[in-house]
Amino acid sequence: MISRVAESCFWLSRYSERADTLARLIDVNLAFILDVDLPAEQHWLPLVTVVGEGERFAELVGASADPDTTQGYLVWDERNPTSLSNSIYWARENARTIRETISLEMWEAINDLWHWLQSDESREIYKDDAHAFFAHVTSASMLFHGLCLTTMSHDEAFDFMRLGTALERAQQVARIMDVKYHSLGPTGPGPETSLESAQWLAILRSCSAVESFHKRSASSFDGPSVAAFLALDVTFPRSIRHNVERALNFLSRIQDAGGLQGRTSEAEVILEDLRVVLAGHDKASLVAAGLHEMLTEIVNQVANASAAVERQFFSSAVLSEDGATQTQ
Amino acid sequence: MSSASGEQPGHPLFEDYQTLPGTFDEFYEPSGELRPQVRSVVEQLDRIGKREFARRRKVADANFFKGGVTFAVYSDQRGSEKIFPFDLIPRIIPASDWRRVETGLKQRVTALNAFLTDVYGDQRAIAEGVVPAFMVEGASGYLRQLRGVRPPKGVYIHIAGIDLIREPDGTFVVLEDNARTPSGVSYVLENRTVMKRVYPRIFRDAGVRGVEEYPVRLRKALAAVRPESTDEHHAVVLTPGSFNSAYFEHGFLARRMGCDLVEGRDLFVDDDRVYAKTTRGPARVDVIYRRIDDAFLDPEVFNPSSVLGVPGLVRAYAKGNVALANAIGNGVADDKGIYPFVPDLIRFYLGEDPILGQVTTYVCARDDDRAYVMENLDKLVVKAVNEAGGYGMLVGPKATKKQHAEFAERIRSNPRNYIAQPLIELSTCPTSVSGHVEPRRVDLRPYVVTGDQPWVLPGGLTRVALVKGSYVVNSSQGGGSKDTWILAKR
Repeated sequence: MISRVAESCFWLSRYSERADTLARLIDVNLAFILDVDLPAEQHWLPLVTVVGEGERFAELVGASADPDTTQGYLVWDERNPTSLSNSIYWARENARTIRETISLEMWEAINDLWHWLQSDESREIYKDDAHAFFAHVTSASMLFHGLCLTTMSHDEAFDFMRLGTALERAQQVARIMDVKYHSLGPTGPGPETSLESAQWLAILRSCSAVESFHKRSASSFDGPSVAAFLALDVTFPRSIRHNVERALNFLSRIQDAGGLQGRTSEAEVILEDLRVVLAGHDKASLVAAGLHEMLTEIVNQVANASAAVERQFFSSAVLSEDGATQTQ
Repeated sequence: MSSASGEQPGHPLFEDYQTLPGTFDEFYEPSGELRPQVRSVVEQLDRIGKREFARRRKVADANFFKGGVTFAVYSDQRGSEKIFPFDLIPRIIPASDWRRVETGLKQRVTALNAFLTDVYGDQRAIAEGVVPAFMVEGASGYLRQLRGVRPPKGVYIHIAGIDLIREPDGTFVVLEDNARTPSGVSYVLENRTVMKRVYPRIFRDAGVRGVEEYPVRLRKALAAVRPESTDEHHAVVLTPGSFNSAYFEHGFLARRMGCDLVEGRDLFVDDDRVYAKTTRGPARVDVIYRRIDDAFLDPEVFNPSSVLGVPGLVRAYAKGNVALANAIGNGVADDKGIYPFVPDLIRFYLGEDPILGQVTTYVCARDDDRAYVMENLDKLVVKAVNEAGGYGMLVGPKATKKQHAEFAERIRSNPRNYIAQPLIELSTCPTSVSGHVEPRRVDLRPYVVTGDQPWVLPGGLTRVALVKGSYVVNSSQGGGSKDTWILAKR
C-alpha cells in the first residue's frame, strides 16, 4: 500500500490510543490526589514528567504552577504536543487524509470527538464534572477502536493501525507505571507505605486492570506484584509484554503479506529482544533490576522500533540496487 | 396553493405545476399536456402525491447521510460538510433524444481529440485557416513546450464532460466543453443509488438505463492507454489532497476502480519513470488519472512553487513512460475562445457535419463581432474565456449600466479574453422547492470516456438552478443536481 496511507493509519491509532491513555491517567489521578496528602505541586507534576514534557512545562508554565494550570497544560495546551487536545486533533488530521481507507463510521467517531472537544459543552463538563469529561473521551476512543475491528477490512491498513496501537500502548503503560517513581521514588522489595499502595492501586485503575489483577494475584497486593502484572502478564490486553507480542504479530503479518516471509526487519529484531527480556523476568528480578531503569529502557526500545517501522515502510523514496524493495 | 390542502393524501405531485412561457419544459408541452415520450413515467411520479413525496424525501436524506453521501468540503479547520442539494424529481430523457446526443458527443470528442493531436503536431488547422493562430496561441491552456509530444495511444481526452442545454424548441446544443478534469460523476452514481431506494417500483417500470458501469469503463480506458514499456500495469488516481473540494470524488473513484489514491508526494520520478512510494518499496506507475490542473502537475516545468505535483512528471510523460488522463495541454481544446470554431473543426478533421449544434457565439477578438457585442451588451451574456464555474461573467439583461460599462472596458483592453452569446432560455424541469413543484432551469453534463473507443455514460449530471429565475446552475452559485434518467425504449 501507499506509504503515506500506511503511515497515517499507524499514527491515527497511536494518537487515538495516546488520548485514551492520557484521559484515563488524569481521571484516576483526580480521585487519587483527593485521597492522599501530597504537596500541591506533586499532584500533577509526575504526570507531566512521564509524558516527557518536564522541560517544556518548566520553561513555559513553571514547575511551581497550581494544580489547575498543570492539569490544563495536560488537557488543553496547544504548546504541549502530547496534550489530550493535540492528540485528538492529530488523530483526526491523520484520519481526514485517509478517509478512503478507513470506514465512514470510524471517521465519524473521531470527527465527532474532535468537534465535541471544540464545543462549549465539553468545556462546561470539564469544569463541572471532570470525571464525565474524561469518561466521554475514553468511551469515544473505545468506540473508535471497536469500529476499527468491526467495520474495516482486516487488511494491511488494519495491520498498520493495530501495530500503532500495540506500540503506543506498550509505551504508555510503561510511562504510567513510572509515575510512581516520579512521585514517591523507587520501588523496592521491602514493606511499603499506605501512600505507595494507594498509588499502585491508582496505576492499576488507570490501566483498567483492577479486576484482572485481582483474579491473577488474589493474595498479595503490593507494588512489585502490580508492576509484574502490568509489565509481564501474557494475557492482559494492556500489559507491556502482551502488546510487544501483538506488535510482533502484526509486523509479521505485514511482512508476510508483502512477500517478505523469512526476512527479518530491524523493528522485529528490536521487539523480539524486548520480548525475550520481558519473558525472562519475574516479580523479584524485575524489582532487583530496578523498575524505573527497566521502564525507561522499554520506552526507548519501543521508540526505536517505531523509528525502524518508519524507515522500513514509510520512506521508500529511494530505488535500491535491484530496483525493488529497499529493506535491509 | 395552500399548504393544508397540499398535505392531503392523493394530491398529485404536479397538480398545480405551471410551465414558464417561452421556455422548453422537460415534462410538459406548452399546452399543459405531458410530453408523450415521458408521460408514463411522469404519471407514476405524479401519483405518488405530495405527502408521500415528502416522506420519501426524508428517506432519501437519511440515506445520503447514513450511506456516506455527504459531499464534503473540508476547506475550513472545523471540517464542515456541505451537501450539493439534490432534487428527488428526476430529469427524464427519451431514448430517441439520447441517441442523437450520444452520437453527437462521440463525434465532438473525436474531433476535439484530433484538434489536440494537430495543435501539438503539424498545426494543419492553423495552416489551412480553420482556426486563427492567435486564438490557439492566446489560449491559456495551450502549452507550446508540449509540441511534438504524443500521449500514449494518441488519446488526449480520456474523460470529457460536454455541457449541454436545450434550446426553446427542445434541441440539445453544446454550451461548453470540458476536456481537462471534468468533475461530478460521483454525484451521478451516488444520486442513482439513492433514487433506486426511493423509487424502486417506478425505476423498474420505467426502464432506466444503468450508470453503474462508469468506474469499470474508466478503469478499462486507463488500462487501454498504458504505455507499451511497462511489464505490469499499475494505475493510480492523483488528488491534490483532502482539502480539495472534489476529494470525495477522487477517493470514490479510486475505491470503485480498485486503484490507489495518491498525492503528489506519494510519487517520484527516477530515470524518467514514475514510482509510487509503497510499504513494499517503490512501485512503478504507468497510468495516472490525475485530478490536478496542468499548472500544478510538475514544479520543474510549470508553477515552481507547487507542492501538489511531482517533479519530473512531464519528462516521464514526454518520454512516453507514463500516460496521464487527461493529457497535458488539453485546455486549448475547451477554451471558450476556441469553442466558436469547433463546428468547423469537426468538418475539417472528420469530413462530417456536426450532429450537435451549439450556441451562437461572438468572438470579441474579431472586429465585426466586437462592434456588435459593444452595441448589444444589454442583450448578451459575456464570458471571460479563462474563467469557469459561472465566474467572470456578465449576464447583460440582468446587469446594471455600471456593470455594462465595466465589461465594455475589459473587452476593449483584452478582446481575446472575451466571447459573447445571446441569453439562452435554458429548459426547465419540475423541481421540488420547499414543498412546491416549480419550474427550474437545468443543463446536462454527460461524460464521455475514451480508451480504445469513445463511450458515453447513459446519463449524466443534470444541474439545476435552484434560485427562482436563475440561469446559473454551477454548484458554487446555488445550483443543485438531479438524477438523469435515460429511457431504454420508445
